[in-house]
Amino acid sequence: MAILWIVALALVLSAALLVTLLKGVVDAARNIEHKVEAIAGVAAAGSKDLDAVVALVTTQSYISQVVDGLANYGGSLNAALPDA
Amino acid sequence: MEPAVALVILLIAAIVAALAIYLTLTIRSLLKINRGLGVTLGSVGEIAAKTAPVNGVLDAINATLLAGRNLLEGLFLKKAGPDAAGIVESAFPGEGTKFLRRVGRPGQVVAIGDTYPRGEAILNSLLGAPPAAAAPAPVERTSAKGLRPWER
Repeated sequence: MAILWIVALALVLSAALLVTLLKGVVDAARNIEHKVEAIAGVAAAGSKDLDAVVALVTTQSYISQVVDGLANYGGSLNAALPDA
Repeated sequence: MEPAVALVILLIAAIVAALAIYLTLTIRSLLKINRGLGVTLGSVGEIAAKTAPVNGVLDAINATLLAGRNLLEGLFLKKAGPDAAGIVESAFPGEGTKFLRRVGRPGQVVAIGDTYPRGEAILNSLLGAPPAAAAPAPVERTSAKGLRPWER
């Protein structure tokens, strides 16, 4: 009979410890939930911000045209100005 | 039934119930995290797809600009000769030395000043204008007002 009471006491202590540990696990999981939601929001916003990256292709084309123009201008200068 | 046995059975049942409740909560949280990570992964994939061409485009832009710069610097060197670095220094303080390093020429950089008499003379001759009165070339990089040529 005494052994049963000891087992009961051990079970009470185990239950308390178990509840504490499980509560920690649940709290940690809930914290991660919020952080994942925040990261998802930031990633979506970052993705939206990058919509303008396509404009770089247009910029590349403009730069190419500008450099072509400069080259032509340089050719004219080369012909017009005497060498040093 | 002995009270001790009943207590043990009750405690075991309570432990199993606590395990079930907390594990269910944990599983629900993990499922929510899983869904959140799925959404995040989608957005990160979009970011990766949108930034994928950036390197190539920027490299192409840089190559084009570099070719343009080399062309103009070569022309500048050909036309201004030893004065080129000084003119660059006058217009962009601190750049004359870099210019010399890029074109592989040795020598000191001496800023030309606000005006470049040789350039003025060439322009006047091309435009058919009478030559400007000879004036000493200023050696200051800034004018009397403290402004550089491009700031006026």
